[in-house]
Amino acid sequence: MRTGGNDERVQEPVAKIDRLIHEPSRYTLMAYLYVVEVADFLFLLRQTGMTWGNLSAHLGKLEAAGYLVIEKEFLGKKPHTTVRLSDEGRNAFEEYRGNMRRALDSLPSK
Amino acid sequence: MATDVNLKEIQRKVYMSFFQDGLWDIFLGLCVVEWGLGMFTDLAYLSGVFFIGTYFAVFGIKRWLTYPRIGYVRFSATRVREIKGRFFILLTVTALLGVGVSVLWGIGPRPQWLVHYFPLMLNGMAAALVCFGAYWVRVNRFYLHAALIFLGAVFHLWLGIRWGFGFIGAGGIIVLIGLALLVSFLRKYPRMAEETHGEDRR
Repeated sequence: MRTGGNDERVQEPVAKIDRLIHEPSRYTLMAYLYVVEVADFLFLLRQTGMTWGNLSAHLGKLEAAGYLVIEKEFLGKKPHTTVRLSDEGRNAFEEYRGNMRRALDSLPSK
Repeated sequence: MATDVNLKEIQRKVYMSFFQDGLWDIFLGLCVVEWGLGMFTDLAYLSGVFFIGTYFAVFGIKRWLTYPRIGYVRFSATRVREIKGRFFILLTVTALLGVGVSVLWGIGPRPQWLVHYFPLMLNGMAAALVCFGAYWVRVNRFYLHAALIFLGAVFHLWLGIRWGFGFIGAGGIIVLIGLALLVSFLRKYPRMAEETHGEDRR
C-alpha cells in the first residue's frame, strides 16, 4: 500500500535512532565530547550545567554502552577524571546524526 | 540541519571558553602598554622578551586560575593544527610587516608624508593584525581592541598627544577590559571544592 510504504520510509530511520544518545542530556554530552578530543569532569559539569549526580549517572550509562572512555588519575593529591569518546561512541554518534537527518528529511514540508 | 548547527555552536562555545577569563585581553593590553613605554626609553628591544615572557605567563596563570574553575579540555589534533597554523601565519605576517616598516624607515631620505603619517600606518598595521586575530579566533571584542590601538595614532596626529601615550592609553583600556572580564569570570566560576574534583561522589 502506498500509505504503508510512506510510513515505512518515515519509520525506518526513526526506528534506527539510538535511544541512549537521543536523551537530551546524553546527546549534549556526546556532542561536547564529539567536538573535542578529551575533556575533564569539571569542564563537562560547567558547560552542560548538569548537577554532579546527573552528570555522573549519564556518563556511567554511556561508559557502560562502550561509548566513552573514562580515565581517572591523580594530579598531585587531587583526583582528576578525564572523559573522551571511544571509537565506538564516535561512530554511534555519527550514525545517530545520519539517522536524525534522514528522519527529519523524510517529513513533508509544510 | 539542527544537530549540525548545534555542533557548530557547541564547538564555538567550547572554543570561546578559552577567552572568557580575559587573560588574552590583558596579555594584548600589556604588550601595547609596553610598546608605548618602549618609546620613552631605549629599551624597545625588550619588547620581544616581554612578549614571550608574558605569553608563557598566560599559560601558567591559566593552569593555576582558569582550569580549576572551568575544567580542562583538549581539542582534536586537527583543530590544534588549524589553530597553530593560523597563529603561525599571524606571527609571520607580523614579522614581515615589522621588517618592511624597518626597511621603509631605514631608507632615506624619508618623504614628508611618510614621516607625518607613519604613526597612523604603524598603528593601522597593528590594528589590522589584531583584527585578523579577532576574525580567526572569532572573539568580537578584539575588534574593539584593534580600534583602540588605531585611535592611539589618531589622537597623536590630531590632538597632539605623544605617540607613546596613545599606545599606553589604548593598552591601559584593553588591560582594564581584560581585568573586568577576569573579575566577572572569577565571580561566575568560583573554584570548586577539592572533593568535587574526583569520583568520590559518584
